[in-house]
Amino acid sequence: MSAVVRVDGLVKSFGRFKALDGLDLTVKAGEVHGFLGPNGAGKSTTIRVLLGQMRADGGRVELLGGDPWRDAVELHRRLAYVPGDVTLWPSLTGGEVIDLLGRVRGGLDPKRRAELLERFELDPRKKCRTYSKGNRQKVALVAAFASDVELLVLDEPTSGLDPLMEAVFNECVLREKRRGRTALLSSHILSEVETLCDRVTIIRAGRTAESGSLDDLRHLTRTSVTAQLIGSAPGLAVLPGVHDLTVDGDLLRCQVDGDALTAVLAELAGAGVRALTTQPPTLEELFLRHYERASR
Amino acid sequence: MTGTWTLIRLILRRDRVLLPVWIAITALLPASVASATVGLYPDQAARDAFAAASMGNPAQRAMRGVIYEANVGELTAWTLGSSGALIGGLISILLVIRHTRVEEETGRRELLSSGVVGRHAPLVAALTVVLVANLLLGVLSVPGLVAAGLPAGSSLLFGLSAAGAGWAFAAVGALAAQVTASSGTARGIAIAAGGLLFAVRSVGDAGEAAWAAWLSPFGWVRLTRPYAGDRWWVLGLIVVFVAVVAVAAFALSTRRDLAGGLVPARRGPASGTLGSGLGLAGRLHRGTLAGFAIGFGLLGALLGVAARGLDSQLDTSQFQALAETVGAPGARISEVFFTFVMYVLSQLVAAAALLSALRARAEEAAGRADLLLATPVGRMRWALGHLVFAAAGPALLLGVLGATAGLAYEGDAVRVTGATLAYLPAVWVMVGVATLLFGVLPRWAGAVSWSALGLILLVDLLAEFKLVTGFVVELSPFVHEPALLLGDAVSPVASLLGLAVIAGALTTAGLVFLSRRDLAPTA
Repeated sequence: MSAVVRVDGLVKSFGRFKALDGLDLTVKAGEVHGFLGPNGAGKSTTIRVLLGQMRADGGRVELLGGDPWRDAVELHRRLAYVPGDVTLWPSLTGGEVIDLLGRVRGGLDPKRRAELLERFELDPRKKCRTYSKGNRQKVALVAAFASDVELLVLDEPTSGLDPLMEAVFNECVLREKRRGRTALLSSHILSEVETLCDRVTIIRAGRTAESGSLDDLRHLTRTSVTAQLIGSAPGLAVLPGVHDLTVDGDLLRCQVDGDALTAVLAELAGAGVRALTTQPPTLEELFLRHYERASR
Repeated sequence: MTGTWTLIRLILRRDRVLLPVWIAITALLPASVASATVGLYPDQAARDAFAAASMGNPAQRAMRGVIYEANVGELTAWTLGSSGALIGGLISILLVIRHTRVEEETGRRELLSSGVVGRHAPLVAALTVVLVANLLLGVLSVPGLVAAGLPAGSSLLFGLSAAGAGWAFAAVGALAAQVTASSGTARGIAIAAGGLLFAVRSVGDAGEAAWAAWLSPFGWVRLTRPYAGDRWWVLGLIVVFVAVVAVAAFALSTRRDLAGGLVPARRGPASGTLGSGLGLAGRLHRGTLAGFAIGFGLLGALLGVAARGLDSQLDTSQFQALAETVGAPGARISEVFFTFVMYVLSQLVAAAALLSALRARAEEAAGRADLLLATPVGRMRWALGHLVFAAAGPALLLGVLGATAGLAYEGDAVRVTGATLAYLPAVWVMVGVATLLFGVLPRWAGAVSWSALGLILLVDLLAEFKLVTGFVVELSPFVHEPALLLGDAVSPVASLLGLAVIAGALTTAGLVFLSRRDLAPTA
């Protein structure tokens, strides 16, 4: 599979401050790629470099097979961008902005436009001055989803949307994915990434911390196990890869490393099990654990 | 009113450089003009001659009003009264709107209003700061004037008159800020009101209708007559005006929603026809340009009418002497009048052109350029789209100004229009300066460009009193404009071409820098 975005060792400084310090990011064609990090990690700076709005100080950046700085205009025909903080022209209506953005990108599908306006419950006749943050974001989203492009660059696109609209947004992204389009979705909302993304890249302080499919990343983390036992399982306490073990009567709880699961299950089976629940780690836990490890 | 003090401190923090610089310069200016007047016109005979010559010049009367007595204090007050009110009024308007409507429009007010801040607190805070600043600059000018040997009482009256002008326009700004939801429109309304009030006084002082000066704060500033009768009660007129306008502003602000205007936002079309960066630029510039065009058209017509009677009214020996000093013996009075007035108005056109030239930067700062530049609209095409209007806009304004002035004057639109259009290259130089700064120092482009124009105005004023000479004066592009109506002897083509080349070079350099730098939104 070819890469739509390929970033190697990207460096970007503002004066003395290094916003990006050797960032790597690869987005394959046809995938929805989550770009995760806390505020100030460098997500938006990376996206600005990818859009040719900022010039890289070091490293290699390739977008849709071209140089995002040099070939900006050509490349922009093939992508649509939704910023996290959408500011629009106060004197234009939402409908006018959608059509403007669509036209300069080479036209948009009028049927799709009408459908999206309805789904997002957006009144296109209002002046942008009067829109709330969420409605401004909807304007940019409708313009992006209604245009025929290969790549969607979405920078925290749901930060102003309510849960209902977030669901509409998720459907729209999945629809684009089914049509073979690629999306780069930056976020600090982990559940959003979890439902939509095939692969994620986690960045922290301008550096790639982790990159891979959600399964890959889960492999690094612990499963939480809760079991109601018939007998007792004294062997668990000394088993490598078992953490935070508590026993409360017949109820046992622990965290288990991915590669220790087999041994733990054998031990539990030996004791006899009345009830058992295991939970894969949420991305939340993964995220927190990653930072715990990094700050240690 | 809760929270007013907190908001005042916020304003002082945000304008901690601007306010002291403005107050210091304005407070120091009167003393330096007074001492320069002493140096230039040392005895009564010289002062009498100067006063007579100035009163013989209709343009001087239109710009500055009437000289009541030929003493040093009065000449100083006359020199600074009107232009001081113009500059102080403009700054006051901009400051009040900056801390009221702009805050609402950008949504920052929402953040504060959700805290413990009273409904009227923002307007009270903005007005308090601006009124106190004006009072300070007025009072602080007194010691310098007294040190220059002028009577203390009259000096205080002069200072308070200057403060009063600032007060009047702060109130006008506060009122305008309530009317529309857009800060740009609010600025436009307030500045247009200021222009109209200035024009009313001009017409009154230049011609027969002296009573018209009583209708305008620009008139009151001079009608207090410091050093020439000291009419303190005229200050009361200013206070009443400020109180009435401010009360109106507060009344309006209770009748509207936060971030809303008095005029409700209308709904617009559900779909649009804009399809390019240039189309969008046109849409963004057209309202402002149309407003300015109407304003300059009215101003031109007013000047044309004012110029009509001048040839017969003021054909005095003093005037002939003046005509000779500007190098045009035998020139008609009306033409000298036009030449003087056009010089000043061309700087006003330059201000309008700066607004257009800095529009692209405003788009960038607000983050709107981000969205557009992520589409196939290239950076150069985007910047050029805005530049087209910064270049053609002033041509339109100068053209309209000349055409209406010429038509109203004696139907000779072509010649007067030619003379006004001659100022175009100088205005373009200012556009070039702004574009260069936009490319090199985007975050400072607005502040530095406006300061440059302000400095040019200041240098012009100081040059008149020989406080600056030589190359500093030559730095102003407006100095190099030929006075076509007076049949300037030097070939006009050379200097016009020179200015145009400089403007082109500055603009090109700005665009080259723009194409190489990172976008710099302020968010």
